[in-house]
Amino acid sequence: MFSRTALARAFALPFEQSARPLTTRFGVCLRQASTTTTSQSHPEQPTEPLSATPRAQTSAPSQQPPTSTPSSTPQIPASKLPVAPAFTSPVEVTKSLLENLPYLTGQKPHYITAHLHDKPYLLTEGDHLRLPFLMPNVKPGDVLRFNRASLLGSREFTLKGTPYVDERLYECRLRVMGVDSEPLRVKEKTKRRRRHVQRVTSKHRYTLLRVMDIKIKTAEELLQEGAVVVEDGKGVSEVEVKA
Amino acid sequence: MPVQGIRTVTAARNGVGAFILQCKRLDFHYCDWAGSSRGMVSFLKNSLASFAKANPQIEIRVSPRPHKHPVIKGHYINGREKAVCVRNLEPEQIVQKANLLKEASGEKNKRTKKPVTSINDSVRGIWSPFHGDTKTV
Repeated sequence: MFSRTALARAFALPFEQSARPLTTRFGVCLRQASTTTTSQSHPEQPTEPLSATPRAQTSAPSQQPPTSTPSSTPQIPASKLPVAPAFTSPVEVTKSLLENLPYLTGQKPHYITAHLHDKPYLLTEGDHLRLPFLMPNVKPGDVLRFNRASLLGSREFTLKGTPYVDERLYECRLRVMGVDSEPLRVKEKTKRRRRHVQRVTSKHRYTLLRVMDIKIKTAEELLQEGAVVVEDGKGVSEVEVKA
Repeated sequence: MPVQGIRTVTAARNGVGAFILQCKRLDFHYCDWAGSSRGMVSFLKNSLASFAKANPQIEIRVSPRPHKHPVIKGHYINGREKAVCVRNLEPEQIVQKANLLKEASGEKNKRTKKPVTSINDSVRGIWSPFHGDTKTV
């Protein structure tokens, strides 16, 4: 899916925000005190905290040949499997979220405000995204999973994160399409009283992505994956109805 | 009854389901005599086989182009082509140029300000003054 370095760079945001208190990062999942007790009381919770279905082929930027057709490579090598996230606690959902989530999941299409390097991108399925930078260590055909979103919504309902929605509530995947370039930029620099113009050139390259799917997990899926239902409280993602 | 074309139901969006690399063919042109092709000839002899093996989805053609500088031409599935002159380049630089053509989208280079381009309708709809709450001044 992506190499570990690419993953670390692409998802380097959590570490940049370490100055903030930990509880504000994921309003849903990080409420430690209640979580640890509840997780002990649920012995049947799954061993995998994030049960995202691995899809398509992956590639590390090493010698292995790129495979453009995912169907030809059903087996994913162990070295290319996505890095398992290290969640210490199962995802927590409030009762009101569980009540309102079917309205959101049942209403297609969905949009997502995904954040990459702290920049928001409003995406729907099938959109074309040209990142304002060249993402290192990715190849055409790779699949990235965006795991940072501040908004998830449909026509009438929006799931707002505080400030981000827990990444276990949704799946957003993008395909690396290639690398694009821009026309040569020429900046003319002049100094006073000097009949000389310096021309500085630059040509940047950008990574092209395509949104493969945006899937918001239903309440049943969340409960199946071991979500813990808690009482309503502050700092937890809530579904809002469009005013 | 007039002949009617078949309406397209959906627009093809490469990468949403299956993914096809945009570059479909690379043409390598060289000259046996000229000195500017020295790096190109060395690339063709030594590293082209491994490059072709690593990219089985790209058709590769090698043809001489006498008394001209060496050129790599990429052909893309959108019908466009991109040509890069590789005169006097070292084999390693030519590998870079070939990779550049391989990963390129085939579109004309453009400066864009908006990162997202979408052909979908707006998810939340268009704002209308006649719906929703009545506003009081």
